[in-house]
Amino acid sequence: MDWLQAFLPLNLERLSVWIGVLCTLAIYSLLYRENPIYRFFEHMYIGLAAGYSLGPLGVDILYRYWIEPIWIQGYWAWAFVVPYGMYLYFIFSERYGWISRIVIGTLIGASAGLFFQEFSSRYLPQLNSTLQKPLWVSDANPDLTYGMIINNILFVIILLSVLTYFTFSYEQRGPVKRVAIWGRWFLMIGLGAIFGNTVMARMALLIGRIYYLLNDWLMIRVGGG
Amino acid sequence: MGMITNLMAQQTIWRLPEESRALFATLIVAGAFVLILGLIPVLQTLPPRGRRAIIVTVTFLAGLFFAAEFFLPVDWTAIFPKDDPKRNFLTPAIQPAQNVLQIIGALALGLGTFGLVRLHLRNAVQKRPQWGYSIVLLVSFVVMATLSILNTLAEKEIVERGPVLERAFSILFDYTLVQLDAAMFSLIAFYIFSAAYRAFRIRSVEASILMFTAMLVMIGVVPLGAQISPALPTIANWVLAQLNAPAQRAIEFGVGIGGLAMAIRLWLSLERGVT
Amino acid sequence: MLSVDRRWLYLILFVNIVIFLLAPLRMPASISPPVQKFYDEIEKLQPGDLVMISSNWSASTLAENQPQLEAVITHLMRKQARFTIISIEAQSRDISYRLAERITKEKGYQYGEQWAHFGFVPNLAVAIKGMVTDLPNTIKQDVRGIEVTKLPVVQGVKSLSDYKMIIDVTPSGTVPVWISYSPKNVKILYCPTSVMAAEAYTYLDSGQIKGMITGAKGAQEYEQLLGIKGLGAPFANTISFSHLLIIFFILLGNFAMLMNRLQARREA
Repeated sequence: MDWLQAFLPLNLERLSVWIGVLCTLAIYSLLYRENPIYRFFEHMYIGLAAGYSLGPLGVDILYRYWIEPIWIQGYWAWAFVVPYGMYLYFIFSERYGWISRIVIGTLIGASAGLFFQEFSSRYLPQLNSTLQKPLWVSDANPDLTYGMIINNILFVIILLSVLTYFTFSYEQRGPVKRVAIWGRWFLMIGLGAIFGNTVMARMALLIGRIYYLLNDWLMIRVGGG
Repeated sequence: MGMITNLMAQQTIWRLPEESRALFATLIVAGAFVLILGLIPVLQTLPPRGRRAIIVTVTFLAGLFFAAEFFLPVDWTAIFPKDDPKRNFLTPAIQPAQNVLQIIGALALGLGTFGLVRLHLRNAVQKRPQWGYSIVLLVSFVVMATLSILNTLAEKEIVERGPVLERAFSILFDYTLVQLDAAMFSLIAFYIFSAAYRAFRIRSVEASILMFTAMLVMIGVVPLGAQISPALPTIANWVLAQLNAPAQRAIEFGVGIGGLAMAIRLWLSLERGVT
Repeated sequence: MLSVDRRWLYLILFVNIVIFLLAPLRMPASISPPVQKFYDEIEKLQPGDLVMISSNWSASTLAENQPQLEAVITHLMRKQARFTIISIEAQSRDISYRLAERITKEKGYQYGEQWAHFGFVPNLAVAIKGMVTDLPNTIKQDVRGIEVTKLPVVQGVKSLSDYKMIIDVTPSGTVPVWISYSPKNVKILYCPTSVMAAEAYTYLDSGQIKGMITGAKGAQEYEQLLGIKGLGAPFANTISFSHLLIIFFILLGNFAMLMNRLQARREA
């Protein structure tokens, strides 16, 4: 009886939980078949998500970087930024649509200009790390074990063979083709790892939802914790 | 260069006086809108080559700033003794450039929302098929947008946070939007499971390697793997660190070189269909 | 066998998860090297060290990222480190703020003194570059509208270089952006969803990230190291058996295909 009283939506807190459960079950109704309830909640979800974003966009960004600097701090030069950014909205016009590409060009140009730093900070250290892997025992690396050496040699072999597989500038023949085939097989290991992890991620999301239904709604204690 | 930066930092010409600041700010913003949007008829008179020239120039200058800031040496004290030896003359401009790009980025994100609302408004007004759902979307949008903006303003104590706002936002955000979002993405698990049974076929050497690795990772990294055999987690971690990592690095190198080539092409507007 | 209605498959998966969530299983995790490194790096922090948490996840990856963020904040508070949170995803702004408020209140951490939330920025790369150059003028104010220069937690902080560590809790590819633009003296730790984890092993190998917690199972390992009870353990235990189920059905599907082929050959 106590459980039933606690379970039913008799106060605002419980009503909120029931609303959450209703949303979850409405979405899951799609698994049975396409239905109007799912459609209703799907459209509500899109509307809520789109509407929610205006708060952070409008206040965290526009207020922080545009409204406050101009109206409160008095830095008038910022006034030109939002009108310039509004050129983006001409993308919907057939006649004036090209004007939006001026602002898009700004964003693309900035991203392209930033990529040089990304290339040097993201990829060159990986190249450096690969080239610095010791492949034999020497006085320079006295702590190296044979297990580490085998790992390093394997690492370099796999890297080179996968890179060979990705070389499409010329026709692969003979030994190069054999190396490329090995590269494809090693690549499958990487893709298999990604696939295994992807399955794990998706299962976790579903488990999280079912946990909510059991723990928050039905108030059943979940074991294993 | 330091002199120019210092001049710009001086607040006298760049800052409105405190008296009537709001009024002057409003007038300047209105003027900026009129000026920038008033440029459109002028820009419209340009021939296609002229339009492309503007887009290409803006793209190039935006990229040049960041590229130059990265490539230029930092220590200019030999020429400008009073400069900071840890930064070049473009570095102080990074922060205002950041502000500009955040504002434009926010407007770009708003573009998606604008397009969505425009589409569904049209559906509702023209009573296209299933326009009822468009009404649901628009009502949800308006209510949530209002609450979200008010909530964010209330967090900054610009408006008062009453119990009604707090409860309404909590119901719509924590108990509706969050739950719908989580439920929507959790559907994928069901589809993966169904696809695993109906579509994942081991027909070739490559598929066998992929499936075997996936199964090894799926069992090896979870607690059950350690219960089956203590060697399983070790093997799975070894596969991830020693066999998977070089394959991923090779993909990274390919992506990196391709990305660099694409970045240069985009920066120089060599890519057709973009500018 | 192959023409079974997929709704039966959905039900089997649902029942499997319900059973193993309710089952009183306690399978300890085997601590993986990336999680151990993650833990060790945070253990090296001294009281008062400053950490930037980049929280970019929304409700869609709640089950994986929430246990991670909760455990990370608990550990940072245990080490008496100061931390600031920044988000590049709009929903994450409120989710991470409310979560951090709840956890820090329980442990007596004061907002503004020991932690703060810098709000939402849509463009991460330029935000990082701005923070490296001039953090106070890039962030300007926190979620509560307090000017960054007036926040005790970042008193005297001019740049991202003044931070000891960046922890990226994310379902998307944001760690390469942190690696690319953040100062080299600042360590980076990574908390991805499982989807992003396989690609990050190359960064672990090169030392560009110092440690990694992978999804819910990584959260379980981390909770075990911390000695706390969180959502990671029940989730990871249930994941184990859902994986077993999927593997069984993959093999069953292939077995069914083989049987169909043999039968077709016999009939031919």
